[in-house]
Formats: sequence, structure tokens, C-alpha cells
Amino acid sequence: MNGKKIILICSIILVVSSTLLIGYGFKNPTTAQKKQVTLTAILSEPKDRWDILFNTVQQKLNENHPDIDIKIDYIVLPYDATRTQLLTAMAGRTPIDLVSVDQTWLGEFAQGGFLSDLTDVAKSWGKERDWYQTNWEGGKYNGKLYGIWAWTDIRGMWYWKDLLSRAGISPDSLKTWNGYIADAKQLNKVLKDQGIHGVHLVGASQSPDMWYPYLWMLGGEILKQKTGHPTKGTYWFPAFNSTAGIKALEFLKQQVNAGIRPQINHFWGEEFADRKFAVMLEGSWLLSAFPHEQWTNLAQKIGLLPMFPVPEIGSKSSTMLGGWILGIPETSQNKDLAWELLTTMVEPQVLTPMLQKEGYLPTQKPIGEGPYAAYLNSSIPYYKEMISMISIGHIRPNIPEYPQIAENIREAIDEVYYGIKDPKQALDDAAGKSSKVLGWVN
Amino acid sequence: MLSKNIFRKAEPYLFLTPAFAILLLFLIFPLFWNVYISLHDVSLVNLLQGWTYVGWQNFLDLFEDSNFQTSLKVTLEFVAGSVAMQFGIGLLISTLLSEKVRAGGVLLAIFIIPWTISAVIAAFSFKFMFDESFGILDYLFEKIGLPPVNWLSDPNMVIWSVVIANIWYGTPFTILFLTAGTLSINPTIYEAAVIDGASKFKSFLHITLPLLKPFIVINLILITMWSVNFFDLQLVMTGGGPMFASTTASLYMYRQAFEFGLLSKGASVGLILIVINLVVAFIYVKLLRVR
Repeated sequence: MNGKKIILICSIILVVSSTLLIGYGFKNPTTAQKKQVTLTAILSEPKDRWDILFNTVQQKLNENHPDIDIKIDYIVLPYDATRTQLLTAMAGRTPIDLVSVDQTWLGEFAQGGFLSDLTDVAKSWGKERDWYQTNWEGGKYNGKLYGIWAWTDIRGMWYWKDLLSRAGISPDSLKTWNGYIADAKQLNKVLKDQGIHGVHLVGASQSPDMWYPYLWMLGGEILKQKTGHPTKGTYWFPAFNSTAGIKALEFLKQQVNAGIRPQINHFWGEEFADRKFAVMLEGSWLLSAFPHEQWTNLAQKIGLLPMFPVPEIGSKSSTMLGGWILGIPETSQNKDLAWELLTTMVEPQVLTPMLQKEGYLPTQKPIGEGPYAAYLNSSIPYYKEMISMISIGHIRPNIPEYPQIAENIREAIDEVYYGIKDPKQALDDAAGKSSKVLGWVN
Repeated sequence: MLSKNIFRKAEPYLFLTPAFAILLLFLIFPLFWNVYISLHDVSLVNLLQGWTYVGWQNFLDLFEDSNFQTSLKVTLEFVAGSVAMQFGIGLLISTLLSEKVRAGGVLLAIFIIPWTISAVIAAFSFKFMFDESFGILDYLFEKIGLPPVNWLSDPNMVIWSVVIANIWYGTPFTILFLTAGTLSINPTIYEAAVIDGASKFKSFLHITLPLLKPFIVINLILITMWSVNFFDLQLVMTGGGPMFASTTASLYMYRQAFEFGLLSKGASVGLILIVINLVVAFIYVKLLRVR
């Protein structure tokens, strides 16, 4: 190669690279100097709620960090797929900055070393007192905080006002176990010809969730701490087969005996909105089965009793709290920014518009009772009643063995539904299996 | 000269190397990894920590688990029902289509539609149809005066409801496969049979079926293996319930691994399913040799 050729090639390279550099600089003078950071997240459906949150949060983060160009890359998956994807990410040590975990998954992912311990950063943040205690504790496992419970849901008794009045039933009579069963029979008698069932009884996979409130209102527990564990000293032991548990399961059996058929399919309130059931014990998400524009007048058509039926008038009712916890995986490469993202997402002014649109309930007092409450109260039907249920709400254990224990309880409920075992036998068998799962017996 | 000879001998193996590497990476390695996991105690909780060697314990636990035993029985019912009906209906339709039916191509395209649909969507459709409170089937039964059927809530009925869904979903493959096989038969054989006075039924029995045998064997093996491994329908339609009556071994595997985080137990079931499929493959090879 002669000298002329070398000079020619060098000149071409110089001209092309200068043009590119100048062009890039003119096109985007600021981002050229900015550090690019993409925060990744794996979240659970529905997608709308995350879209609403991230639209606001991304803007806020970029305003807080003018020197960084922050992007949020998130995937939203169905419930089961979220768990599978988290498991895969955990096994592959994939860097992820934010995840949504169901309250009952927390223990597994925390003990597995997937979630970061947020105890210290949360202490510096100083917002613990803003949270309802049950919801704050729900983010803990073994005394350490692994997630922030962002929003919650309650389960209550929904009814169609016109269907109840057609059957000559007052909503108040649904409040007790005997009244509930008598009303179910009456509703079935009057509405059966129209293809409408009186009351709904869950026979699907989440049937334990709808049994726990009866267990809790009778003073029972799912698990309790006990000493003498072969390897762990003090550990959880099955307590759901107590007298309270048996009595609670007997109430379900009475419903089946009264002709209420357990529903193996669950459509999360759609079946109620379609007027296939006159009464349904269902979560607060039931509201989203109705178009948003109907919410203003919804209270004229449907009613909510903020309780599960109780054994006798005057007994204290109970409900189960569910919802999503936001956590930061150990694999996150931007933990500080991820924490900022998480805390910005749960800021009342960011979170409230999403709660209002989706009909979720807050886990924070400033939203539930403070200045934002009036706004939510005016736009979400029965908001005040639903918030009142948080005080009688209980949460499920978040220990790693819980999914297997819930499966055993589900089996017990099915056995009672199908008349294979009586409540005591079914619960004792489930407790025996659960003891094994918990490591009490080999 | 010597090096040229060596190269000539090695040449085919060199060409095979990329394919073998892919096979090793995506088939052999995961298989042995699965064996490794099944011999250790691996769960969601200790996934990122040390795994204890437990030998055959996971397999022993499985065979002691009454739910796993139930799942094997359910698998047998599901596979037998699905394969028999998919094959029977598929053979019938493909035979009819191979006759000079008007708009046969259009009909074939219509028959294949279920196979193009996602299994999850098919499962949701059947879940709605079989619903006992507002499903279309019980509604129609009621209209014509028949008692409603507890499609999904009767433990004795539920697996057959899933089989019905699987027949609808899986039969198009058999139709397509056997139609292709039927069309590959030389028509002059049928013409000669007609001259010899053979009826259509005799032609089917003595010409079509023997010549279709390789297609039939492959088809049977494939639909059997798919039915053994398939769990989308059961997962969406029933979640395996009620009372585990629709939990096939493949669904049991999925639930153990991904719902309960018991990865070793899931891997052990996976290996048992591989063995079942290998037995099926062995039968396939034997049958082809018979030919």
C-alpha cells in the first residue's frame, strides 16, 4: 500500500467519524453526555396499573436525576407466569431491579436469597408509621423487611339490591350464618327459574382464602409457633384443625347441605356483575367487573356488607387481606435507583390516581384516612366500608411452605364438599400432611 | 496422502459437529441436569445455596405420595381417551376427505382451525362452555329437557370433560397427517382394485390401512407422547381438581416445581415422564421394524 492510499483512507475515516460525532451532538446535545440507566421489572397483571404508575414515576426519576437518562423496561405477566418467571430469573441470576410478589410468596423468595433486605433503607426512609401495621408486617420475613406492600384488597359480601327485594330478603339477615343459609334457600327458590343462583360458594383453587375469615372470626389460626421442632427449635405448626377450624368448615358443609353448589370456575366477580349470583363473597376487585362510568350510580344497584357472615349477631367478623408487595432482587445492579423507583411509586400523590382508577385499597393511612380519602371516597363505591374492613383483616402466613399447606387445606375443603370426610377428619388429615411439610415429622 | 485420508474419514463427523453441539447443549445437557437435580434436594428456598445429595429419595417420596399415584391413573385415562378418540375421528375424517369430496381443501382448512389456536385459549373456551352455572352446554341440555351435567365439578366426570377438549384440540393433527398419508398412496392401486371388484370398504381395509401403517404408527406415537406431556388444558380448565381428579402426571410435575417450588420433585416426575415416553418410542421403533 503506498502513502497516497494510506492518506486517503485515513482522511475518509476522519471525515466519516467527525460527521457522525457532530451529527449526534447536534441531534441530542444533552443525552450525549448523559449516563443511560434502564431499570427492569417483572410484574403481575393487569398491565394498566403499572402503565399508570410508571408514566408518572419515570418522569419524576428523570427530573430528580438530570445527569442520568432513566428508562423503565417492565414486563407484565399473568399470575402463575409471574411466579415462574421470577423463579427462572432467580435461578439464572438475571439482573432485575423491581418485582411484584404476592404476599404469600415473600418468604420463599426472601429465604431463597432472591430479595434484598430493605430493613435499613426503610428505616432511613422513615415511613413505617404511614402504613397500616398489618400491611407493613406483611412485607417482613423473619423480622426483616423484604418488600413494601403497595396496595391491598379485602373480601366482603356483595349483593344485588333488586334481587334481594324480589325474594323479600333484608340484607341484614345475611349477616349471620343461619340467616345466610336460610336466605340462600329462599333466593334459590325465587330466582332459580331465571337462571340466577342465590349465593356463591367458592370451589376453585382459592377456596382456603374464603374459609380463613370464618376460622379467624372464631379465634382460630392457620399456623402457630411451637417449640420442639426437630431442626429449627421453635417453628410453625398447623393450627387450622382446631375447634374453630372444624366449626368454620362445618359452616361450609351446611351451605352444601342447603343446596349451595361450590363453583369450580371462578371469574373474579364477573359472574356477579353478569347477575348469575344474587349474593357473592368476593374481593374489592369485583368493582372492576363493572364499567368505570357505572361507578357513580353503582351503589343504587348493588350493596356491600363489609363483613363475612358471623355465627351470631354481635360476633366480630373477619376478612382476608391480599395484594402485591414490591421488592428489589439481590441481582439488581441499580439498587439505589430501584429503591427510589419503589418509594416514588408508593408516594400518595403518585399511587392515589392509580388506586382510584383500578379500585384498589391503600395500605397507607394518609391515603386511607388522610387528605386523599375524600377523593377516593367520592369516586370508588363503598370505599369507606371497604377501608373499615382493613381493621378486621388478617393475612396469610408468608413462610416458604405455605403454598403446600394451602393445597392441603384446599383438599380438606374439597373432601368436605364432596362428602368424602367430615370436617374434623379432613382437617386432621390436612394438618398431618402439613406437619410433614413443615418438618415436624419425617 | 495420509493426512488427506484422515481428513476424508473425519469429514462427515466434522459436518455433524454443529448439529451434535446443538443436541448436546439443548437436549443432552438439560436431561443430565434434570437427573442431577432429581438426585439432590433442590427447592426454591435453597436454589441459590448448596444442594444436598439425597439419592433416590425423591423418587421414593413420589411413589409414596398418594396424589402422584392418582395422577398416574388420571394420566392413563387421559391418554387412552384422547389417543383413541383423536385417532378414530382423525382416521375417519381423513378417509372421507381423501375421497373426491367437493371443497375438500376448504373442509381440511376448517378442520385444522382448532390446532392453530393456542391451547390456553381453547382451554378457556371449554371452561366457559362446561361451566355448570352459565355454560352453553348445560343450558342447551336444560332446553331439551335433559338433566344438567356436572362437567367440571364431578370427580368422576371431570377428566372426560378435559378429554373432550383435548379431542377437539388435537384431532386436527391426525386429520392433517393421515390425509397427507392417504394422498401419497398411488391411485392406480385403487383403480386396479376396482377392476378386480373390490368394494370401497375392502379397498380401505386391504389397501389404505396397510399402506398408511407407517403414518399411523408415527401418528399414534406422537399423539400419545403429546398427551402424556400436555397439561395446559387441565391447568386452565380445572387446575387439576376437584380432588386431584384431573391432575395428570405432567400437571403434577408443573405444580410441584413451579407452584410449590419443589424443583427436585418436579424433576423426578419429569424423568418418569421421559421413561414413559421412551417406552412409547421403543414401541414405535419395534412397530416400524415389523413393517
